[in-house]
Amino acid sequence: MSNGHFFLPWNASKARLREAENARKNRLEIVKGLSQGGFSRRELFKWGLITGAGALAPIHGLSPFVKSAYASGGGLSIPTGAPPSPGTVGTDFSQPMLRMEVLQRNPVSSLNPAPTWMANQTLKPVDPMLGGGYGPIEGRPPGPDWAHQRWDVLPPKVAVEVSQEGAKTNPNGNIPFRFHPSLPQQNPTSMWTFNGTAPPKLLMGRYGEPILFRHHNNLPADITQNAGFGRHTISTHEHNGHHGAENDGFTGAFFFPGQFYDYHYPIVLAGMDSINTNATDIMASSPDDNGGLVKVPGDWHETMSTHWFHDHMFSFTSHNVYKGNAGMFNLYSGLDRGNEEINDGVNLRLPSGTAKSWGNLDFDVNLMLADKAWDQSGQLYFDIFNLDGFLGDSMTVNFLYKPYFEVQARKYRFRILNASVSRFFKIALSDGSPMIQIANDGNLFPHPVVLTQLDEQGIAERYDIVVDFSRYKPGQRVSMVNLCEHRDGTKPSKDLSLADALAGKSSDPCVGPFLEFRVIPCSKPDLSQVPATMIPNPDLSKIPVVRERTFEFGRAGGSDSAPWTVKTDGGQGLAADFSRLAAAPKMGTREVWHLVNGGGGWDHPIHIHFEEGQILARNGSLSNVPAWERGRKDVYRLHPAGSVTLTMQFREFAGMFMEHCHNTVHEDNAMLIRWELDRGMVAMPTPNPTPQGVTYINTSVMPTAF
Amino acid sequence: MLRESLAARAAAAAMILSAAIFIPVTPASAATWGADYFPNSTLTTQDGKTVRFYDDLLKDKRVVINFIYTKCGDSCPLETARLAQVQRILGDRMGREIFFYSISIDPVKDSPAELKSYSQKFHAGPGWLFLTGKKADIEVIRKKLGQAARADENQLTDHSTSLMIGNVATGQWVRDSSLDNPQYIAVIIRDWLSDWKDGGPRGKSFAEAPPTPAYLSDKGAYLFQTRCAACHTIGQGDSVGPDLLGVTKNRKRDWLASFIALPNMMLAKKDPIATALFARYNQLPMPNLRLNDVDVNALLGYLEAHDAASHGQAKAEGPAER
Repeated sequence: MSNGHFFLPWNASKARLREAENARKNRLEIVKGLSQGGFSRRELFKWGLITGAGALAPIHGLSPFVKSAYASGGGLSIPTGAPPSPGTVGTDFSQPMLRMEVLQRNPVSSLNPAPTWMANQTLKPVDPMLGGGYGPIEGRPPGPDWAHQRWDVLPPKVAVEVSQEGAKTNPNGNIPFRFHPSLPQQNPTSMWTFNGTAPPKLLMGRYGEPILFRHHNNLPADITQNAGFGRHTISTHEHNGHHGAENDGFTGAFFFPGQFYDYHYPIVLAGMDSINTNATDIMASSPDDNGGLVKVPGDWHETMSTHWFHDHMFSFTSHNVYKGNAGMFNLYSGLDRGNEEINDGVNLRLPSGTAKSWGNLDFDVNLMLADKAWDQSGQLYFDIFNLDGFLGDSMTVNFLYKPYFEVQARKYRFRILNASVSRFFKIALSDGSPMIQIANDGNLFPHPVVLTQLDEQGIAERYDIVVDFSRYKPGQRVSMVNLCEHRDGTKPSKDLSLADALAGKSSDPCVGPFLEFRVIPCSKPDLSQVPATMIPNPDLSKIPVVRERTFEFGRAGGSDSAPWTVKTDGGQGLAADFSRLAAAPKMGTREVWHLVNGGGGWDHPIHIHFEEGQILARNGSLSNVPAWERGRKDVYRLHPAGSVTLTMQFREFAGMFMEHCHNTVHEDNAMLIRWELDRGMVAMPTPNPTPQGVTYINTSVMPTAF
Repeated sequence: MLRESLAARAAAAAMILSAAIFIPVTPASAATWGADYFPNSTLTTQDGKTVRFYDDLLKDKRVVINFIYTKCGDSCPLETARLAQVQRILGDRMGREIFFYSISIDPVKDSPAELKSYSQKFHAGPGWLFLTGKKADIEVIRKKLGQAARADENQLTDHSTSLMIGNVATGQWVRDSSLDNPQYIAVIIRDWLSDWKDGGPRGKSFAEAPPTPAYLSDKGAYLFQTRCAACHTIGQGDSVGPDLLGVTKNRKRDWLASFIALPNMMLAKKDPIATALFARYNQLPMPNLRLNDVDVNALLGYLEAHDAASHGQAKAEGPAER
């Protein structure tokens, strides 16, 4: 089921639908005829059905991709690699949005076996589907290089245990795994999520309270049980934690069905070795359970709020994240408390709630946005051979097709995550009223920014916004609208005006309203605030820049290039090879990195792991950097033919990290480099995981790395 | 909030809902990316044998597929030389469990005989087929593997240098660069895509795997490993190209620098040494690797260091002709 499929607008005329379906059938028959020798190419050529170059002629009635006389609204049709996902027409905003499910926080003593500093190499039998024999119970690479850094001084205080597995009904609330009640339940082979259930999971943590995140891989050992896409080996990235690299979900440090991997998230402020080392500054603090604060070391200007976690498996990240390996992580601090009432001069009192001293979610809402497609049986669909970037034709919020959400007539905070494979969003409210953006990539701004349309939001970017629903009357409805249109997975084709997006003037079905708010009366006074000053940027003026590096992402001309490459410091354009070290900054230093988009036909949201950076220039000038990109960031949209200059520091934790395009199709085995925060002038040996234990292979080192 | 008329929506709903009878199926990946997906078109091998793409080449096999043309002066020879290295690492798995297919994207010019000669230059062994066929059929194969050039690109010179590495039986496919570390390509096809059932060598334990010191990141060494080692050794004998031990003693530096930088130009203007090398090494021209002056100097420095260390152990005969 993959020849010649397409998007059509939901309001496509009957004639257009019929025409497209006929075109699809014609094309299938011709391709089949050609491959089985039913008729000759010469005959087809005579009939005018193929071109001189041999491609099927893009004529009306043959290719469903082609613009049609019947098509409405400009008539572009957008290939997803899948036929239109069926079963949702007329069902927009007919199901309530589910909030993310908070992962249970347990005492560390609940973990059996107890977590260990170095990987637990206790042996157990390995499934014959994975070669049999014996292998370690933990998939983390063995030895001191991959032991938890600062394990003795930052031991875990909270344990969270999750299991990667196939879709099933959630026992908590008896929630079936389906995108909409009109669609069938997802098969265990179709979706692989945390605990195998919907809605997606929310991890909650506080500064100064290290979490041991034990991730069990309970995916099928038989790789063919994957409904056509997805890999059963996984590596979980906490995006974008200030943790040791052994906990970063390195693309080549994956683990197998039947194993677990202990990720140690210390949750510390960057700069803890050099700034506020004695934890004397109350601004650098974390909430206790009684409304008070516990001081923590580090730079409070590095406080982070909204993360997510997802698979980073080499070559299969796009499959696995699309298949459901994605959750969100809210970090709480003295500043960003998740309590809007406590007035102690530190708490910013952002919309959240009042019942608990920290972590109230009543008015603080995670939204995981992702475009999906499903096949004619209603099961999730992915085209593994669409290497330009995969698009879905159905918008989902927290795994649900275009839901509605009841909101009180008061302020809400939304933590919006773009969890798509290749799609960018651009969000507005349907009445054009303002939103207050307070954070980018999970970092609260120095000052809030009021916008009627958010910027394009690249894959993996997080935008935190505040919407004040007190301007609406109970009973009113207002929607979140996507204005960003794609024709393919390379880059957005255009941003529509709000009026055009609402009028359905795009045939991209993911343009338009995707989440409807239904306003109900406010139950209690809204105590929340959006302060004019939140978190000023860290002051880097006294920290010298020791090194500049340039990374060019693109598709260099001529045949001496791989399709997706990264050129490091003017070297050859190279595809991903995680045994190759491209950059090795020195511990405790600051560098300037230039990220360059080598081509105009593409856009790339580039993610640099580990520390947050600050954008110094776009296309060479600070004046090109908009207000909402002047805080801290970890994903940098390059724009077609554009460049971003950023600066970042390298502190506290060592090991092998990555930098890559977060269009996960571009990332997979192409647009990704490994960098290392050194442990001296050496490159670490490269892990080579097998079910029977991790071995190591040699690392090649690029001449410009050190 | 309605952005379309109710009538239009109802009409569309009726159309789509009539098709929306969900058929419960649980396709395995192998079925999804199997006979229904790949064409079964006829191709011809370098030995003139006709084969069906799916039935004969893909079904139940682990494969590495790339697209080349024999007149390609840049990436194809390097890609092919890299694959030859991978072939050596995989040993007797080749032709039994693992198959390489280098498919011509210039099939009118690339006859089976042309491909045969090309394959021999790279010492292609069992299980490595060089394939030609009808251009339109090959375009479909290219598209199905996600390797079609974009409409705005030259179909030949902008061709993708990716390898598509697949286990057709399990429907698992990985894209990799043909210009990458051959060891690493071998690990993917041998271990990852057999789900570690292959039982190949497994690398070193942590204790046996020393970190790579920074001094090994010498630019010349890096360039030699990544750009030259597919075809040349230093002191290990001839490969696709000549053994380079002693080369800096037997050739003038200026000549070496020019030849490394612009081998195609040297051959085109009939430089006598370049012409002799071409004749001697199977008429396989050295590709232009697009190295700049700094790269060339780094490489020469690396080769000179080897020659200095070898204390004149360069073979007494031969180098002068190289």
